[in-house]
Amino acid sequence: MKLIKGLFDISSTDPDDARRLKLLNVLLSGVAVIVMLGILAIAISSLFASEVSSRSGVLYVSSFGTLASIVIIFLIGRYWSGQLASFLFLLLLTAVAPLTDQPQQVVNGRSLFVFTIPILMASVLLRPYASFIVASISGLIVTVIALSIHLAPNSPAILGFFAIALVSWLSARSLEQALVDVRTINRELDQRVIDRTRELYDALTREHAEASKNQAILESIADGVIVFDSQGQAIVANPAVGRLLDQTSDEIIRYRIERLMDGKVTAAVREQIVGLLQNEEAHHSNMRFEWGEKTLSASFAPVYADKNTPIGTVAVFRDFTREAEVERMKSDFVSMVSHELRTPLNAILGYAEILLEAVYGSLADRQRGVVARIMTNTKRLLSLVNDLLDQAQIEVGRLAFTITSFTPNELVEGAHSLMLGVAQAKDLRLTYEVAEDVPPTLSGDPQRLHQILVNLVNNAIKFTEHGTIHVRIYRPDADHWALAVSDTGAGIAPEAQLHIFEPFWQAEETATRSHAGVGLGLSIVKKLVDLMRGEIALTSELGHGSTFTITLPLTLMQEEMK
Amino acid sequence: MTKTALIIEDDDDLSTIFAEAVRAAGYEPEIIRDGEVARARLANTQPDVVVLDLHLPHVAGTSLLSQIRADPRLAGIRVVVATADPRMAEITRPQADIVLIKPISFSLLRDLTVRLSTSGGKQTGSG
Repeated sequence: MKLIKGLFDISSTDPDDARRLKLLNVLLSGVAVIVMLGILAIAISSLFASEVSSRSGVLYVSSFGTLASIVIIFLIGRYWSGQLASFLFLLLLTAVAPLTDQPQQVVNGRSLFVFTIPILMASVLLRPYASFIVASISGLIVTVIALSIHLAPNSPAILGFFAIALVSWLSARSLEQALVDVRTINRELDQRVIDRTRELYDALTREHAEASKNQAILESIADGVIVFDSQGQAIVANPAVGRLLDQTSDEIIRYRIERLMDGKVTAAVREQIVGLLQNEEAHHSNMRFEWGEKTLSASFAPVYADKNTPIGTVAVFRDFTREAEVERMKSDFVSMVSHELRTPLNAILGYAEILLEAVYGSLADRQRGVVARIMTNTKRLLSLVNDLLDQAQIEVGRLAFTITSFTPNELVEGAHSLMLGVAQAKDLRLTYEVAEDVPPTLSGDPQRLHQILVNLVNNAIKFTEHGTIHVRIYRPDADHWALAVSDTGAGIAPEAQLHIFEPFWQAEETATRSHAGVGLGLSIVKKLVDLMRGEIALTSELGHGSTFTITLPLTLMQEEMK
Repeated sequence: MTKTALIIEDDDDLSTIFAEAVRAAGYEPEIIRDGEVARARLANTQPDVVVLDLHLPHVAGTSLLSQIRADPRLAGIRVVVATADPRMAEITRPQADIVLIKPISFSLLRDLTVRLSTSGGKQTGSG
């Protein structure tokens, strides 16, 4: 088989040449087989013949001659020129054909048809027009034979040869044209496949590069990132979050957030986080919480598929342990310093009062004046220290409230008696009223409320030169009570109203010596009111005084204030 | 007979000021600066008023307060608690006659102690 395959192997790169040569080889083999069968038939018939006829000798010679010619043509086709081989083969067939019968039969009879075979073959073995050449040769041979046996040339047969050549030419031509078309289509298809494959490859490469870039960015972010789907299931987690939460990123993706929080956070924090994840619209929020031994801060933001459809939440975690520790240390330091400052201040105040009260004998007027100034300044210093202490405690969320019931009258009277002297020193009136529909007892932290009220009244006195400071307790609605402090002072400019509750803020024109302070009073008041679940509002107009109104819920539970 | 007051306060200056205040109110003050000493002293004296700091060396003010309230011999004693811690103030309020939050003014302590000696009832005011 391999040998046969080797024999028929075509080395030509032109597909038309290859096709023709292949066909020639097949025909050569066919003819060779027929000739060999012929030789076999002659050999067998001569076995049964009584004498060796001269005719069988001629047959042997011509058969072996044909076989030799076939081999030569094959070799020419293989090693030299397919076209020459085909032409020689056709010539061979055309030349051998008249030898197969009597000349009369070849010219006018039954063997005329043998010429049609090479004519037909020519169109497919050589070029389509080659049929006409072979038809001419056949016509010439038939005419020569006819003349040699003194017959008239057979014109209808020669015309027939040309008719066959025409048909053969037409069909071979259309066949070749079809092949050319098919090959063109094939080439175009091939090109298209190549183009598409390249595009696909490029797209895949780009996408892969993009994906690995995003992955690399996510993995190198120092903050922990988790993306939750709308069911609260983590779908993306970077390595940093694994380190922060003491889990692998795989575990974070495998388990629900509730399970990850087990034993790590308090019930309140757990509830808050789960709530944030469930409520997709409400979270652009930041929270800080303890996670095991660590302090973490987390911010939650919704992830939108398009503008309006939230598909989940991205949570960014940051290790806040060190910062929290520093804050605690700072707060402890401030608390300690404040306490240490308050004791000697208390002693200074006490001794000054002892002098002023003439416990050790009466003082001259000028001495009394000096002692009074010592007291005033010490009180100022003391209130600054108290403010700093409160601010420090607020910053670390350590400010404590003690909720008890108290009477609103005692609250205003306490502040009134404390501040009356200060107001009178500036020739201001300090008045108060408690509306009739206010309940006789309220719930809250009376110490802190006292602090708030004194702070507001003190502030009002500071910024009022003439007129009245009025304190009012009333009920704005069924569920709330309100504490309002109004003054007839200079009022607060609208731009200043925006900043007035910020820590350490002071209006420039007010930061004079007479209004000295650290600017903590109102920010502490605001923070205290926030922690009491209340609200503080300021209404003020330049030249027409200011009113600070604090609105608080009527019922207040201790646990609400944690 | 002169009324007596026990000032239990570890700070030298504050104890002096408190002593002056109760003296001005008509009491004879005795100053003790240590919890342990105060406990021993309470076993053999019967003051009319005790001004009690809660933050003391060796024995806490709260346990001294409990000791006073548990002793029938000391049943009539008026106790003024003086503390800097608002939370402790709330905790001790039920057992004390008066709770004052530091800083405590001389005149306030003097005036309140005067009222204690004239009125028989319990005061509920705060600093």
